[in-house]
Amino acid sequence: MKEDIVLTIHKDQDGDALKVTLEGRLDTMTAPELEKELKGSLDDVRELTFVLTDLEYISSAGLRVLLMAQKTMSSKGSMKVTGVNDLVREIFEVTGFTEILTIE
Amino acid sequence: MPEKSVREMGELERLHHSLAARVFHAVMMGAAILGLVALLIGLGAYAYAMANQFIGESFGLARSTNAVLEKALDVEPLVMEVMDRYRSLSEEERNTMGEESYNEFFSGIEEREDYQTLRAILKIFLDSSDVNDVYLGVYDPDTKALVYICDPDDSEEYGFLPGEWEELEERELNKFITWDGEGKLHDTSNTDAYGWMCTSGMPVAISDKTVHCFVLSDITLSEIAGSLKHFILQYAVAIIIATVLLGVILTRHMKKNLVQPINAIAGAAEQYVADRKNGVEDTDHFTRLNIRTGDEIENLSLVFADMEKDLAEYEEHLTTITAEKERIGTELALATRLQADMLPNIFPAFPERVEFDIFAMMEPAKEVGGDFYDFFLIDDDHLGMVMADVSGKGVPAALFMMATKIILANLAMVGRSPKEVLEGANNAICANNREEMFVTVWFGILELSTGKVTAANAGHEYPVLKPAGGNYELYKDKHGFVIGSMEGLKYQQYELLLTPGARLFLYTDGVPEATNAENQMFGTERMLETLNAHAGASPEEALQAVRKAVSDFVGGAPQFDDLTMLCLEYKGPEKG
Repeated sequence: MKEDIVLTIHKDQDGDALKVTLEGRLDTMTAPELEKELKGSLDDVRELTFVLTDLEYISSAGLRVLLMAQKTMSSKGSMKVTGVNDLVREIFEVTGFTEILTIE
Repeated sequence: MPEKSVREMGELERLHHSLAARVFHAVMMGAAILGLVALLIGLGAYAYAMANQFIGESFGLARSTNAVLEKALDVEPLVMEVMDRYRSLSEEERNTMGEESYNEFFSGIEEREDYQTLRAILKIFLDSSDVNDVYLGVYDPDTKALVYICDPDDSEEYGFLPGEWEELEERELNKFITWDGEGKLHDTSNTDAYGWMCTSGMPVAISDKTVHCFVLSDITLSEIAGSLKHFILQYAVAIIIATVLLGVILTRHMKKNLVQPINAIAGAAEQYVADRKNGVEDTDHFTRLNIRTGDEIENLSLVFADMEKDLAEYEEHLTTITAEKERIGTELALATRLQADMLPNIFPAFPERVEFDIFAMMEPAKEVGGDFYDFFLIDDDHLGMVMADVSGKGVPAALFMMATKIILANLAMVGRSPKEVLEGANNAICANNREEMFVTVWFGILELSTGKVTAANAGHEYPVLKPAGGNYELYKDKHGFVIGSMEGLKYQQYELLLTPGARLFLYTDGVPEATNAENQMFGTERMLETLNAHAGASPEEALQAVRKAVSDFVGGAPQFDDLTMLCLEYKGPEKG
């Protein structure tokens, strides 16, 4: 197992705005971690922002977590994704996620 | 580490490893030292008591004699007569003592009546006691001598005549003439003539205070030495017997309370290990010990008993878990086979069809995967092709994949267009998808008579197209959103025309996103390069080449995504 396959999740809450910075790889192995992190902390959030500047890779399992977050947020506030790099943008485009995510 | 284990030791060696023997040795040693110390103390005490008794006897005799003399006889005239004559002697005359002439100075004394009475009284006391001598003498500080007045001892050797004297040590002289009447006046000295000798004395009252007259009593202490020898002998025997007895008792005690329980625990441990090796379960070797020493040994045995029980429980638990794991493993293996069997995997798939050649493969990252391909003849002229990737991996993804595959095939088989198939599948899956899983699907239908492909893409990778005689290139088609997350989505479909010799290559993200140890991805560039390097190869050979290239690229890093590919070659309409 490669040791550098990790994901660093940094959360920054400001009132009802939550900024989640992801660093590393969001794949099958790390996606459950993010899912767990988000599950408990979205209750009082109206404005969710993902910062993906240092996200190296996102797999379908990672996309699923983003999709779940998007669904949760669209019912009570807003969600946007920032700092999308070329690789991640390509994945978003191929999978059609550009259509449903607010990318800045 | 010890040189060898207890198991490897012989009987004799085990005996030497004995706490009891060690205890016995320690007890013997301790008792011997203790006995010796006690012997020395006892010896001292005994000698002291003996000496005290002797001195008491001697002093008592002197006192009794003096008391009798006070009542029976006035010795002062006799004493003064002897002392007057003694004091009148010159130094030279005094030193002639032992010669006949010296006794001439004291002639007539022995004939005196009071002398003879005195001598008779002293004689009675001497004969009736254990002392060596009882006599009357004067301590003369001027000449530092003891001047004999009357000595009842008849012997030539030890007897003294009146006026005869003996040289005195300063210590003895001072002790006697300054006595304050307290305790027992005595002095012990080692003399050449008598050995250890104790002289006790009782002052006789004389009106001339310069004359220190005493009734003296001599007793030799050498007899004490003799009785000491006897004492040591008896004592030593007693000590030896006591030591051995103590050693035996303590050793027995140790054996019973320490060694036997420990040996029992060791024995139980051996039995336990032997039973474990032979696969005997439910042992109670330690529980059965029932050691009741009420100390650490008992605690030790209880700890072992607990351990035995806990280990048994743990093992039982472990066995259950292992069995469960094996069962799950077996089921997973079965699921893997089942999943593989669900996909068309016999090639050539349609040996009777000359219009096309198709090959596909799926290698899941886990036992079961979420990727899948599919192809099937919808009717005599239409071939349906699916390449799909379910989010996530493992059993959940595999179950989701199965459902998707069936739904897609069912919708296609009733003659719907690719767009309609994807929309229908999306609605069907969304209706019951609480886990928020989704699947990306590329679905196309090839019209065998014309080479026309109608396709729709739900968030899947770009297909790769190779025109006849050209290179493999990505075909950037229009993308819809993934299937399974939003109901009512619309998909767009497009058409491609394959000329004879053209190829279509489909894959999942496992191919371009295969990652090596340096965290680099295989990428679509390498994928296309590999395909073009094998432009003339059959679909099967092309897929094998890509698979090998991915494998070489990844090297030692584990494959962490499914690897699924499909390649179709259109050969043109059936002639005839």
